[in-house]
Amino acid sequence: MVLKYLILNPLIGFVLGARQVMFILAKTLLTCLKGPHRPRDVLNHMNTIGCGSLPIIAISTAFAGFVVTGELAHQMDTALHTVEMLPGFSGQFVFRELGIVIPALLLVSKVGAATTAEVGSMKVTEQIDALRLLQIDPVEYLVYPRFVASIVVIACLTLISIFVTLSAAIAVAVLRYNFSIAEYVNALAHFVSGKDVVCALVKGMTFGAVMPIISCFYGFNCGGGAEGVGSATTNSVVTSTIIVIVLDFLLTFAFSMVL
Amino acid sequence: MTVVLNFFQEIGGLWLFSRQVKRTWLTTFGESLPMVIEQIGYVGMRSLTTVCFAGFFVGAILVIQLNLMLAQYDAQSMLGGLVTSGCIREVGPLIISFLLAGKVGAYTTAELGTMRVTEQVDAVRCLGTNPLQYLVVPRFIAIVVCSLLLLVFGLLVGLLGSMCVASLLYNMNPLQYLSSVPRFADGWTVFCGVFKSFVYGLIVASVSTYKGYNASGGAKGVGKAVTECAVYTNLLIVFANSFSSIFLDGLHETWRTFF
Repeated sequence: MVLKYLILNPLIGFVLGARQVMFILAKTLLTCLKGPHRPRDVLNHMNTIGCGSLPIIAISTAFAGFVVTGELAHQMDTALHTVEMLPGFSGQFVFRELGIVIPALLLVSKVGAATTAEVGSMKVTEQIDALRLLQIDPVEYLVYPRFVASIVVIACLTLISIFVTLSAAIAVAVLRYNFSIAEYVNALAHFVSGKDVVCALVKGMTFGAVMPIISCFYGFNCGGGAEGVGSATTNSVVTSTIIVIVLDFLLTFAFSMVL
Repeated sequence: MTVVLNFFQEIGGLWLFSRQVKRTWLTTFGESLPMVIEQIGYVGMRSLTTVCFAGFFVGAILVIQLNLMLAQYDAQSMLGGLVTSGCIREVGPLIISFLLAGKVGAYTTAELGTMRVTEQVDAVRCLGTNPLQYLVVPRFIAIVVCSLLLLVFGLLVGLLGSMCVASLLYNMNPLQYLSSVPRFADGWTVFCGVFKSFVYGLIVASVSTYKGYNASGGAKGVGKAVTECAVYTNLLIVFANSFSSIFLDGLHETWRTFF
């Protein structure tokens, strides 16, 4: 009994859920190839996702840049009793981890939650059944535009946040640790190459592709009125966060072979 | 301009609300203790698996990233210490508070908000009970206490995860990995982590209860409250992160000058 409730049931739930997520993903990719492409919807979603979250992402990543640079300097001071390597280390960390994961996590908790709430409300008020009645596939109509918009937007946001974080890191290095900007940029050019930017973009776009799929999956499967929408939203945010972290681990490991 | 004004207005409301909650808690400490403990159980059990899962992979990611950087200087013997100290001081509290905000914070806002818009809060008041004492205080205190408890679990699992990855992928002896920990992590490091975690816990607790308790406008209002809760928690955590870093650094400097 215990085995059944603790292990078997969650496992079966996981497998069934994963199957449906794969199904949604396959259908979305198929729509990307075949159309209908709905450029107007895609642009609309790009606007809401991108412009809506740009300020919070810019502010948060700037502060993250301040803090992490100070933190790295502190660690380096303890380990090597010098902060000489600060530009290289902080630049590399920004390009490989900080500028990518922080916007992705913020987007998950802001946009992913909104998506689940929206799709979930549609499901609860039977609007998704209405779409089916009208011969419109809900995946094509709801998931595909978000998928494309999210991938494009998150690529841009990754670049912007890398730029903002790097500026913050440079500010800390110049003001607090007496580097000159030229020194910092020189060291950066030594440690960071085009490969890093490509890897950052690939990582960011993977996170961007995961987010709408997972949040729409939870939206499609929510039930039980307003409370169901609430719990679906919470579950969606937590699952997407975990998936982003796990994917980050796998991709970081894969890229650590290449870089 | 209105955005900034709104922001400060929210901060002011948050401050007044938290003060009221604190006063209610202190005046009814003994009566609300059982409910507080019950809520601690709920909150802790609900987020324990998520936190452990995330902690494991975050430790793993840090090992890969730092190993890549340290390999350039042949300083891999410091890997364990750097990862552990980074986890305790910075990454652990941050990730755990993000997860807590996404999982428990959103849930609390939705719960309290639904109670507010369906007039259950007024019903509690009609029955002669103080809704702050009955509904808000247990959740508030439980989130703050749980953020500290979960920090301990998350850090232990994170250390385990980083050790696993270091020994499996980079052929490091776990003992050798651990040997550099004492050089980087001392009592002060642990205090930094606990302090930060406490501050973030306060932020998550106050924002989620404040937003839920003051929700208005039906189911849509609850949805808006949940989204605003996520945005404000993330922003405030990022601000608090840099301010507490500066504060703790200053404290450390003073300590070192005088003793």
